Amino acid sequence: MSFFRITLHRSGIGLPHRTRGVLRALGLKKRNQVVFHPAEPQFAGMIMKVKELVKVEEVPRALTRDEVKAERTPDPGFWVERMVPR
Amino acid sequence: MHRLGFALPRNSMSRPLLRSIPELRILIYSSQSTAKAAAGTWTKRCITTTSTSSFTGTSAQIEPTNAPPPSSSASVGTQPDPFPTEAARIAAASVQIPQSKRLPPRLPTPAPVPLKPLSESVRELLPALRAQHSHYVTVHIHGFPYLVTMGDQLRLPARIPGVVPGDVLRLNRVSILGSRDYTLKGSPFIDERFYECRATVIGIEAEPMRVEVKKKQRCRRKTTVRNKMRFTVLRISELKIRTVEDIEADAAAAAKSS
Repeated sequence: MSFFRITLHRSGIGLPHRTRGVLRALGLKKRNQVVFHPAEPQFAGMIMKVKELVKVEEVPRALTRDEVKAERTPDPGFWVERMVPR
Repeated sequence: MHRLGFALPRNSMSRPLLRSIPELRILIYSSQSTAKAAAGTWTKRCITTTSTSSFTGTSAQIEPTNAPPPSSSASVGTQPDPFPTEAARIAAASVQIPQSKRLPPRLPTPAPVPLKPLSESVRELLPALRAQHSHYVTVHIHGFPYLVTMGDQLRLPARIPGVVPGDVLRLNRVSILGSRDYTLKGSPFIDERFYECRATVIGIEAEPMRVEVKKKQRCRRKTTVRNKMRFTVLRISELKIRTVEDIEADAAAAAKSS
């Protein structure tokens, strides 16, 4: 089953309550938040209601919240080569 | 990890318990941070442009940024070989053990990929870059770039958990490696096998506690916000560029092992 990867690109502030309700139903509360929903007609319809605000991509697997966070976390850029005796 | 020869449950034992056992008291003292008002210098952020030829031949030697986390097998007091054999590197990096966020990474990340053949411009100009007497690098620590050279002091805006002064960090995210006349640019990073860059932790600092009281006129409610920034001070202790022969030897070893 494939999934929609939905990213809220534009905020719903100032938009009608119905539109903000659709964003809430999709689970989008903050800008640049990423949610995953199955690629089914009911979710496609919700996306069509807010298509100007979101960016959508079809992916084979839904990522967990930790995986999405790890994606945007940069590498530490170092590793501990030698440690002094503690 | 400890001179008694076994790992002690420092994180699970409370401070009064640790203080009651004399052998464990050093575990408290070893991790106390010095609460001096920090007055260190920031590294210079100016970017100098090169006057003569620059080459960008590193588009082929890129390691992927999303890779499985490495296993931590380094122990205190031993010096892991900075460039173990390619087979050892690949084997070590392929073991996926989730690391605690409280500890800094102990092995290079990400998993090494076979080094692609060096391009002509790199093979021709890297010796010229090496021959120059002073070099700079732009290292990326947690995504933030710092332009440094040998001997520079670097004050990171966070405390690296689990390190104490004296630890040696190996920096492995370098995007620009240059000298007066030549610049080696990675896209986005230069392969780790081109250089060795080490930084020593020389101090862990903290500023005085900042207290901000927020209150509006004609309203009795007050909000208090406390903030105390912690810093890690590093000194770039080594910056070495490897020779083309060494890099190609690594590539050959990687190709043989894979």
